[in-house]
Amino acid sequence: MKFDKKRSNAKQEIPTSSMPDIIFMLLLFFMVATTLKEVDVYVQYKLPEAVAIEKIENKRLISYIWVGKNGKIQLNDAIVEVEDIQDIMYKKRVELPNVIVSLRIDKESDMGVVTDIQQALRKASTLRINYSSMLKQ
Amino acid sequence: MVQIKKKKERDAKIPDAGMSDIVFLLLLFFLVSTTIDVDTGIGMSLPEFQEEQEFVPISKERLVAVNINEHGDVLLNKEIIAIPQISANLIEKIESKINLPSNKKLIVSIKTDRRTNYNLYIQALDQIVAAYAEVQNKYAQQVYGKKLEELTPEEKKIVVKEKVPKIISIAEPEKTK
Repeated sequence: MKFDKKRSNAKQEIPTSSMPDIIFMLLLFFMVATTLKEVDVYVQYKLPEAVAIEKIENKRLISYIWVGKNGKIQLNDAIVEVEDIQDIMYKKRVELPNVIVSLRIDKESDMGVVTDIQQALRKASTLRINYSSMLKQ
Repeated sequence: MVQIKKKKERDAKIPDAGMSDIVFLLLLFFLVSTTIDVDTGIGMSLPEFQEEQEFVPISKERLVAVNINEHGDVLLNKEIIAIPQISANLIEKIESKINLPSNKKLIVSIKTDRRTNYNLYIQALDQIVAAYAEVQNKYAQQVYGKKLEELTPEEKKIVVKEKVPKIISIAEPEKTK
C-alpha cells in the first residue's frame, strides 16, 4: 500500500517583502512620539515617590523649576538664584496666565529652599504648582 | 576597423535586501533613546501673597494641623504619629464632615521646619491627598455606585467640589529675621 503524501502545494513562505514598510511605520511612530528634551538639566536630582499622584493634563502650560542635590536652582534653562525667580516667573505669567510650575526637587533637599521658592512664586502670583514625584511601586 | 566595444549591459539595481536591517537598527535606536517622560506629581495651589496677613478665625474642629519637624517627627493635632498613619487618621475626620456646608469642611494645614527633609514633606502630603482621594472614591461608590473616574462631569463636580473638597493649606512660613 502506498501512502499519499498529503501535503498541500501552497507556498510555505511568509512574504517578507513588506517588512521594511511595517518597520518604517513603527519607526515613524517612535520618531513622532519621542519628545526630545528641550532644555539641558544642569542639576542632579532624584524625585520623591508618592502614591496619590496625578498627571498634568496640559503639557504646554508647564514651566519647570529644578532643585538639585547641591541646592542649586534651575529655572527653565539656566541656573538662577532664589531672588531671581520672582521676576522671571512674573514675566512668564504675563505671557501664560495659567502656567503650572512643576517643581522637580531632589528628595534630600531641605524644606527651606522649597519654602523660599514657594514664597517667590506666590509673590509672582504663579499659584498653580505641582510637586513632581514618581509613582511608588 | 576599430571594433566598437559594445556596452556591457549592467544590472542597475540597488540591493534592498539589507534595507529592513537598516530600518531595524534605526527603530532600535529610537526605541532605546525614547523616554516618554510623564509629568506626574501632586498638584497644589499656593495661597495668594499678601503683605498684611489677616487672621481668619477658624474653629478648632475644622482644622487639622500637620507639623513635621527637622527630625522627621510628625505631629497631627498635637499627637505624635507616624507618617503612614496620617491617611487613616484623616479619613474619619473628612468623612464626618461630608454633609456639612462648605464653610465647615475640614482644613488640613501642613507646616514644616526649614530643615525638614523634602521627601518627608511629600510623603506627608501624599498621605493627605490619598486620604481625600479615598473618601471621594468611597462617596462616589456609595451615592452613585460608580468609581470616581466613571462619574459624569456634573456628578464628579458635586463630589469633588461640594461634598469632599480638598482643602490643604500650606502654612505661612514664620518670618525670619
